Amino acid sequence: MIELKSRRHTVDDLGSAIELCYANGWTDGLPVIPPTAERIAAMLEAGGLKPDEQLSFIENRQVSVTAEKVAINAVMAGCKPEYMPVIIATVRALADPLYGYHGPATSTGGSAVFMLVNGPIAKQIGMNSGDNVFGQGWRANATIGRAIRLMMQNVIGTTPGVLDRSSLGHPGKYTFCIAENEEDSPWPAFHTTRGFKAEQSAVTIFAALGVHQYSNGLSATPEGVLTTTCAQMRMSAGTNRQPQYVTVFAGEHQLIMQKAGWSREDVQNYVFENTRMAQAEMQRANIRPGPVTAETENTMQTLVHTPQDLLVIAAGGKAGVQSCYIPGWGGKNGSQSVTYEIKKP
Amino acid sequence: MSIQIYDPTTEVKSRTINFVPRPKSLKGLRIGLVDNTKHNSDQLLMRIAAILEKEHGAKSHVIRRKKSAGSAPGPEMVAEYKANCDIIVAGVGD
Repeated sequence: MIELKSRRHTVDDLGSAIELCYANGWTDGLPVIPPTAERIAAMLEAGGLKPDEQLSFIENRQVSVTAEKVAINAVMAGCKPEYMPVIIATVRALADPLYGYHGPATSTGGSAVFMLVNGPIAKQIGMNSGDNVFGQGWRANATIGRAIRLMMQNVIGTTPGVLDRSSLGHPGKYTFCIAENEEDSPWPAFHTTRGFKAEQSAVTIFAALGVHQYSNGLSATPEGVLTTTCAQMRMSAGTNRQPQYVTVFAGEHQLIMQKAGWSREDVQNYVFENTRMAQAEMQRANIRPGPVTAETENTMQTLVHTPQDLLVIAAGGKAGVQSCYIPGWGGKNGSQSVTYEIKKP
Repeated sequence: MSIQIYDPTTEVKSRTINFVPRPKSLKGLRIGLVDNTKHNSDQLLMRIAAILEKEHGAKSHVIRRKKSAGSAPGPEMVAEYKANCDIIVAGVGD
């Protein structure tokens, strides 16, 4: 049996164990699975990890995240052991300086950790990439994101009102984890844009604000659909701040792109070019400081730094004329999305 | 039958951090200002520097801007502060 070092608590029964987790502030408000030695050991084994192995070190918090603590939180979230490789890759990604854990985790402008899973593992563990993709109903989507949030709270100390100072919170803080619909996508799998091979599995993390759904049932061309996309995105949470943005295209919009032969780069370039805004317009909306001048009237600013800062993803149900975008937290200088390989032991 | 469960939180390990002793006076000292990129933080810091110089005898000031509010100052910035400053003013929020 694996030797665990965490403090132990003995309780009378299952119900008491769940209540103890509540009493100690270890939950996200929903009941958790009691982390027993057998369950924790199964998680560690599935990840090929020793309990004291450090998975990441969060510099600003000076916290070492060990495999044992990650496994305990994964059990509590309701994960199956085979989800562990996804969780491990995500925990490693969170410590990437480009992601910049401290900012998005602590800020009053609070964000959730959006996770996109690509590659064969998504199907193997039963992840949803279709109908109701951001909704409930799939254990992997529901519990992997939950495990990450519980770990952030319990291990890194990202506790609401303490070191998580988010003013409004985010429903994705319960879970915010999807797979890409690689099968029906008009584009190569997203992780291949980050240097991975299609047959590899990878997770992309993104400090995300809310999901903004829009509808376009009037257009049969990419330009038509993207006109709506751009109109929605031009004045949105990231305007002037220049974060990255996720854009998710669902079934019918995917088909329109596919039929017209529009690549991911075509979509990125179109949205990049058509979301520019005069600095003066931002000033009039009080999201950019300074007085309106002839210069700011004539200076057009892009929504994001580069077209590649638009993360174009295919996911969602086949029926319907809905797509969505997700602004990133803060600006790209403060946090950017990173993609890590998911390795099986 | 009783159940044993394991603590999911990080157990705090205490350690000692040695702080530089606080100066008894600011007279003749060089001030370092850490601009955290928040709107108006530079203006606030410059006002603080002016007060420290005019009313408390500080000699000079250096202001540098971090990459973003959530990140620590980079090693080059830290080296510059170390070389040119005696005290640092940081911690400006929104």
